[in-house]
Amino acid sequence: MFQSRPRGSGPALPAWCLSFTLAMTCFALAGCAEVKPWERGHLAKPQMAMEPYPEQAALRAHTYGGREAATGGQSTSGGGCGCY
Amino acid sequence: MNKHRLHRGLLRRLACLLKARKREARKYATGGESAPLRALTAAALALPGLSPATAQAAPGDEAGFQYGHYTEGQRQLYLGTRSKYNPIQVDTLLGSGKLTLMDRWKFAFHYVQDTWSGATPIATAPLAFGGNHQTVSGASPYLQGKGVLRYDRSFNTYRRNETTGDYVKDNRLVHTLSAASPETRMQGDFRLGYEWDESAFNLGGGVSNEPDYYSNFVNTDARWDFNQKLTSVDLGLSYTNSEINAKLNPEASQYFDYSSYTKQIDVIPGPDATPTRIINGLRQDWSTRLGVSQVLNKDAVLAGGMSYTRSTGYLANPYKMVEFIFVDPNQTPEDAGTPGIPPLLVPQVQAVMERRPDERNQFSWDARYVQFIESLDAAVHLDYRFFHDDWGINAHTFEADWVQPVGDGWTVTPRFRYYSQDEADFYQPYWLFKNAEPTFSNGKIDLSKVPVSNYSSDHRLSGYGAIGTGISVSKAIGKAIQLQGSFEYYTHAGGLKLGGGGEDSYANFNFYQFNAGIKVDLSAPSLMGDLGLSEHAGHEGHHHEHHAHGAPLPAGVMFGHMMEQSGQTMVGYRFMWSLQDGDILHGSNPVSDATVIDQGCGGRQKCSLLPKDMSMYMHMLDIMYAPTDWLNLMLMPQFMDMDMNLRQPPGAPPPPSEGGHNHGGNPHHATGGVGDVGLYALFKLFTFQHHHMHATLGLSAPTGAVDLKLVSGDYEHYGMQLGSGTWDFKPSLTYTGQWDDWSWGGQLSGTHRMESENEVGFAFGDIFQASLWGSYKFMDWLSGSVRGIYTAQGAINGRYKAPHQIVGPMDMPNSYGGRYWDLGMGLSAVVPSGTFKGNTLSVEWVQPLQDDVNGYQLERDGALNATWSIAF
Repeated sequence: MFQSRPRGSGPALPAWCLSFTLAMTCFALAGCAEVKPWERGHLAKPQMAMEPYPEQAALRAHTYGGREAATGGQSTSGGGCGCY
Repeated sequence: MNKHRLHRGLLRRLACLLKARKREARKYATGGESAPLRALTAAALALPGLSPATAQAAPGDEAGFQYGHYTEGQRQLYLGTRSKYNPIQVDTLLGSGKLTLMDRWKFAFHYVQDTWSGATPIATAPLAFGGNHQTVSGASPYLQGKGVLRYDRSFNTYRRNETTGDYVKDNRLVHTLSAASPETRMQGDFRLGYEWDESAFNLGGGVSNEPDYYSNFVNTDARWDFNQKLTSVDLGLSYTNSEINAKLNPEASQYFDYSSYTKQIDVIPGPDATPTRIINGLRQDWSTRLGVSQVLNKDAVLAGGMSYTRSTGYLANPYKMVEFIFVDPNQTPEDAGTPGIPPLLVPQVQAVMERRPDERNQFSWDARYVQFIESLDAAVHLDYRFFHDDWGINAHTFEADWVQPVGDGWTVTPRFRYYSQDEADFYQPYWLFKNAEPTFSNGKIDLSKVPVSNYSSDHRLSGYGAIGTGISVSKAIGKAIQLQGSFEYYTHAGGLKLGGGGEDSYANFNFYQFNAGIKVDLSAPSLMGDLGLSEHAGHEGHHHEHHAHGAPLPAGVMFGHMMEQSGQTMVGYRFMWSLQDGDILHGSNPVSDATVIDQGCGGRQKCSLLPKDMSMYMHMLDIMYAPTDWLNLMLMPQFMDMDMNLRQPPGAPPPPSEGGHNHGGNPHHATGGVGDVGLYALFKLFTFQHHHMHATLGLSAPTGAVDLKLVSGDYEHYGMQLGSGTWDFKPSLTYTGQWDDWSWGGQLSGTHRMESENEVGFAFGDIFQASLWGSYKFMDWLSGSVRGIYTAQGAINGRYKAPHQIVGPMDMPNSYGGRYWDLGMGLSAVVPSGTFKGNTLSVEWVQPLQDDVNGYQLERDGALNATWSIAF
């Protein structure tokens, strides 16, 4: 599924779209171990934040966006070009 | 402590008690939502690349400031030869704030500014084309080649050895590089959010502006929490509208074909017969994203998302060209004259502006996994992202971070990233057509007969892989301040593409980037004060009232305030904008263009360009620490950026074409980046009743660049450099007084250059400044000030050692400095209570009253000073 698709074939979209939905539904519904509020100490640590350095990540994403085809325009925030 | 203050202190204590009660009550009402949980849900929202989340990435209100620098390695041309151009360099500044407006209303803003300069590839051609040849200067030959390219009947490329005249088979490719003068982009955006107990809604928008690209955007997103907040779903939508107005290089545009964009190009005739061509384009982007995050167990979180972006309109890059090479197999081949080499075909070569589809649909799917490692108190982050678009690009991104706290407030995060993409369907380094060039009767290429409708040689659309390795380091100082830094080294190579088949090695490059920043938790100080956690904190509150609250300073006064309690820290930010616009002055009088043309460039030669306007922006950080009650130490890093518009007045000789000015039309210059860093010590001389006096001794280190050049290799105008280039001594003496609602002060300050010239041969003049002010407190939290300022600055000593074009008075060292009178009018506010207690915000407009300039200079229009500070 993650191999580069040969030229001219149709988009591989529906397949991974479906698998994404399935995967998400599975782990949401599969009854992941219940975590009580008082057991969430580890999860609240700064190193466990999804993005521990959001400002740095934004700067890096901006650089990648100017250098890579797949990293521009992916966020839903909008923005200018700055594509030196 | 007077009675009035004691009374207020009691009230505050009471308010705190009530607040604490309220907080307790709310906790029960929301089902015992704990602080860690709030932190978690906020953190879980911080999905990659999704800015709605970053607005809530941290639980508290905060302000942040970051500086980033990007430098590319020198591009390889061929045979070990490197490009003579400086590679791309970018300086980025980022300022941000997140504030709680009211209980559930949140506001976040962001300001980003990039300044870049250097050379980047604009086209690719066979090496044998002779296009990017080291000994050739000027822009035109790069796209035109030297007419020595040949093909055999099997379409192999042949290169001629210029010394022997012999041909050899050589299929190598080379980039054609082009440099541009520095440019700056500025972006400001905001986000307003409302939070319910189990959901949130955000609305945001902003604008981004750079000389050839203007865009504005709006976005919205919503979040829902389920399952006792173990599961969160978010949905976002954004719209961006961009306007492109790019000036085609007048020196190069006569050598490439832009006929497929004729309808979008405006031609403005230039005064020296070089027309300016401006390509206009519109672009729209719609983007949506669905994300889910799930707590798996007490040590692991998984998040995933899907996004779709649809872009329409002008999606090409106006600066990228492609080379079309037509080889007519029916021609009579030429005898190569080299033994063993077959007769060779002569191709026709045409450079054309790239053409991309006017529609692009992009999809991406991402997954993030975070695992806590209890034995090491560390967290492992694993990310994967798959991207697919209808331009034929599939890409994979893998990232792994290890976030390791190492004690004493330090956290170290090594990072690894791998990226791989396929080439776009319409990408080729260059196009080879096995037929004669289809032309109109006037000899121009007939693009309708070329069998491709979309074509690009932008290597960002080629197939390649990239590896990035880096490290982030952060250090927490107390509860309120966090310092951060990071470094990354990045290698882009065709050979790194997943599954092979990437671009050839001529397109390989690498870069490094680093950044440093500071983050201030705005709620930290008041938290201590409100809860009455320590006697010490109470003292601080009192101290604030006395200095920041009681005796406001005009925003433009630096070193005007001292902290008198050892152990205190202050963090502040200063912004200054000044504008010169209008007449050109000689002494105090406006002079005619004709006089400046004749006299402004030294009299021996005439000026060809005059300054039209110049703006200067300065961002400074104040970081101040009091080791004792009579000494404060201060560090002030500085970031500058400037822009200047020039005009060609009637009657002036044309500017030298090699001077980097002959762009056709009116040139615009911009520079930006790190300025000089100041290190200061403030000594208390006396504090007696309502009077206070202190002295400052300081040094300014020459960290700002003074060797910035135009594309031509000529130095920028002196005033456009970012620093002084010399070690400067900066003493000052400040007196402040205060009685009831009135306060006043005076300051003498100076800048003495401790070296007679900098590395490029000059030194700015010494500066002396005297200022007197008075201020009145209208309200408990607001005061107004009036200030009179006198400044004198000497002319520049020395001049650029290297040859330097003099095009206008701004290139003459004696046209700098002067004597100036100004009037400043300001407002100063201090937050008296609540979450942001102690935050001080001041603004001041400085209106020039009289100028008496050295030489010939543009009149000053005014300056704006703004400062924000907070002490802990």
